[in-house]
Amino acid sequence: MSAVQEAMPAARGSRDATVRRFALTDAIFRALTKAAAILVLVLLGGVAISLIAGSWPALSTFGLSFVGSEAWNPVTEKFGALAPIYGTIITSAIAIVIAVPIGIGIAIFLTELCPRPLRRPIGMAVELLAGIPSIIYGIWGLFVFAPFLQTTVQPFIIWMFHGIPGLNSLFAGPPYGIGLLTSAMILAIMILPFITSITKDVFDTVPSVLKESAYGIGCTTWEVTRRVVIPYTRVGIMGGVMLALGRALGETMAVTFVIGNAHRISASLFAPATTISATIANEFTEAVGDLYTSSLVALGLILFIITFIILAIARYMLLRIDSRAGA
Amino acid sequence: MSTALSLHQSRKRKNSVMMALCVVAAGIGLAWLALILGALIYKGLSGVSLAVFTEMTPPPGDAGGLLNAIYGSIVMTIIGILVGTPIGVLAGTYMAEYGRFSKLTTVVRFINDILLSAPSIIVGLFVYELMVRPMGHFSAIAGAVALSILVIPVVVRTTEDMLNLVPNALREAGTAIGAPRWVVIRSVAYRAAMSGIVTGILLAVARISGETAPLLFTALNNQFWSSNLNAPMASLPVTIFQFALSPYEEWQQLAWTGALIITLTVLGLSIFARSLTGRREDR
Amino acid sequence: MKPMLSTDLNVPDTAVEKAKIEVKGLNFYYGQSKALKDINLSLPERSVTAFIGPSGCGKSTLLRVLNRIYELYPKQSAEGQVLLDGKNILDRSQDLNLLRTKIGMVFQKPTPFPMSIYENIAFGVRLYEKISKAEMDNRVESALKRAALWNEVKDKLNASGQSLSGGQQQRLCIARTVAVKPEVILLDEPASALDPLSTAKIEELIDELQADYTIVIVTHNMQQAARVSRQTAFMYLGELVEFDRTEKIFTSPHEKRTQDYITGRFG
Repeated sequence: MSAVQEAMPAARGSRDATVRRFALTDAIFRALTKAAAILVLVLLGGVAISLIAGSWPALSTFGLSFVGSEAWNPVTEKFGALAPIYGTIITSAIAIVIAVPIGIGIAIFLTELCPRPLRRPIGMAVELLAGIPSIIYGIWGLFVFAPFLQTTVQPFIIWMFHGIPGLNSLFAGPPYGIGLLTSAMILAIMILPFITSITKDVFDTVPSVLKESAYGIGCTTWEVTRRVVIPYTRVGIMGGVMLALGRALGETMAVTFVIGNAHRISASLFAPATTISATIANEFTEAVGDLYTSSLVALGLILFIITFIILAIARYMLLRIDSRAGA
Repeated sequence: MSTALSLHQSRKRKNSVMMALCVVAAGIGLAWLALILGALIYKGLSGVSLAVFTEMTPPPGDAGGLLNAIYGSIVMTIIGILVGTPIGVLAGTYMAEYGRFSKLTTVVRFINDILLSAPSIIVGLFVYELMVRPMGHFSAIAGAVALSILVIPVVVRTTEDMLNLVPNALREAGTAIGAPRWVVIRSVAYRAAMSGIVTGILLAVARISGETAPLLFTALNNQFWSSNLNAPMASLPVTIFQFALSPYEEWQQLAWTGALIITLTVLGLSIFARSLTGRREDR
Repeated sequence: MKPMLSTDLNVPDTAVEKAKIEVKGLNFYYGQSKALKDINLSLPERSVTAFIGPSGCGKSTLLRVLNRIYELYPKQSAEGQVLLDGKNILDRSQDLNLLRTKIGMVFQKPTPFPMSIYENIAFGVRLYEKISKAEMDNRVESALKRAALWNEVKDKLNASGQSLSGGQQQRLCIARTVAVKPEVILLDEPASALDPLSTAKIEELIDELQADYTIVIVTHNMQQAARVSRQTAFMYLGELVEFDRTEKIFTSPHEKRTQDYITGRFG
């Protein structure tokens, strides 16, 4: 058999068979890859549909008041999402306010100031830290950070602001250690490497001729950063910040440990509170009754919608800077 | 003259202040992160012993280990990778090869990027609705599916990026020799992009090996040894979550030790993954 | 086959020989823009034809139509006829993979596959032929000998193809193309990325290969066209300006634009 083929290597018949086989295998492989690509879309669609279906009992029972109510009572089966929504937004907002300036500062340090031999190791360390699981931040927050805040920082702040109207209710005691502010700070630490690494990446897209010409007319490092680098990368930085915000909003484990899981809205940042993801993580497996479970899924749906919008904006912004860098 | 000079000086001063602030920011950031790692090593190391790797998770107040949790994590991670990787690689292949210029690719890329950063607890809820509720019970396989859903976007992204880096000239050369597209992809493009794709898969392993939220209500937890994929299974992150929030000292110690194990695993995987692509760049 | 008049502008004196490829009324589009305008020419068998012209004139585009490699990209389309042994390869029913085994191509930059030297050659052969290991060894050896590379690589056939020098890589690519036994070889500026010594080797190789293959070479180097080709096509702005025997093109061109280009007045 093989001897025959050796004798006529380009035998027409076998070659035609090969051509037909190739056409078939190629079509199959192409269809497979396309199906996998479509599966990615189906996944996101499936997430949306399953969340809507799962939250239907709660949404049909409570209607729009679900979003506006602070009630969370498994015994009377009255559920409202306002407290977790409030906690989610406040903790994320504070985390962003803390982490963004520090993150951008580190990025400036890495791109402009850091001695060259240290640049790679520190940059690499930052990227590695961005990959550390959030449960690590949570356990550290619970056992190390919260007791520290409780015994030192919080009593001091409460003492300092207690006579000042406004601030005294914002920082009202007692110092539990855990609560809104602690969660926000843990979140800030967690998203810090993330913001730094994205900001550093978009800083690197600034053409060096642009920076050189600014230095060439006598600008200081700060002026180059403030007037050239940041304006040039504004969209990319915003995209990175939105991405970090999306992360903070959806972060579960780092927050669940230190938020205190209390369904109420307090004026004080030291008070225990809850977020959407912490509520789901804490209560889902113990929830009895369809309405309770469904209310938790409805919380998930709200979180999904919020993060989808934030992430879509973030990706759109990063896409814009990508296409400019490519052009 | 003097105003010009003082302007110059004030600009210089401002520059020094801002740059000092940046150094301080870097100091704060790195110190904070060093504190976390320091506490982790300090608290975690003191609990490391052979028992951690040979004994089951103990009942409250007893000594024990993390063997069943480690086993569960490994099993679910492996299944998650085995399910998620082929799908991710195929989808990334479509985007970079067959569908490079198609509208579908743009849409899939956008949706995939959203999946990439979507809250993992949402994925947990999805798999709960998809598998746990219809099956009527928690199971290791549901946990593994949840993890695989987290793997897919990571692998899609790196596969597409790495295949896009393969020069078109190489594809043309493969095509010009008479190879059909899929052979060009398999024998030329995949080979050229191999180390990058492997890096992506390793990063995906690193990501899911520390994930807790999607396992909470899919695989749940199991205090005992179980290799039944159709039953609840322990995992390291969920065990850490449960033990850390408990009032028992032995459990809390095991939580710290488990946290150290996860962190070292994740860091080790990430460094190894990066060293693969690093070598590639050197060549 | 239609009889051709030797006075026809686009037909060189060699047209009496058998034409391997005939291009008839070929137009080519990148999206809306027309890159090739009504090209007519015929390439005689077992000889070297050069396409010359300033960059953007369409010479590479014309070459890429001959094995339909342009099909890899969207929004590129060809109309007209390209006859290979009298059969229109632009026909929808033409199998592209089969076409490319008959018409091989070597690119501007060397493109060794990410595999060993041996595998680089065996890869293409294995696609359409099931042959024994011993037979494959022979095929690899003869292809490498054909490309004048055997002596340099015979002791390291398992080394990566990418470990070779640029000139060696390009000869490996030629060996790879020859190994699948094509009838036509297309060369797209094969020496433009190489040093003079490697270029000389490639040119020598082209000269030897024309005994067995119909060769088409695109080059921006007029001396190279003059050295290696038997007939030359001068293209400008997507049109075929003049096609004739090489010495005619370079000594007494018919068209003023050809003369201007040859003498270096533009391009």
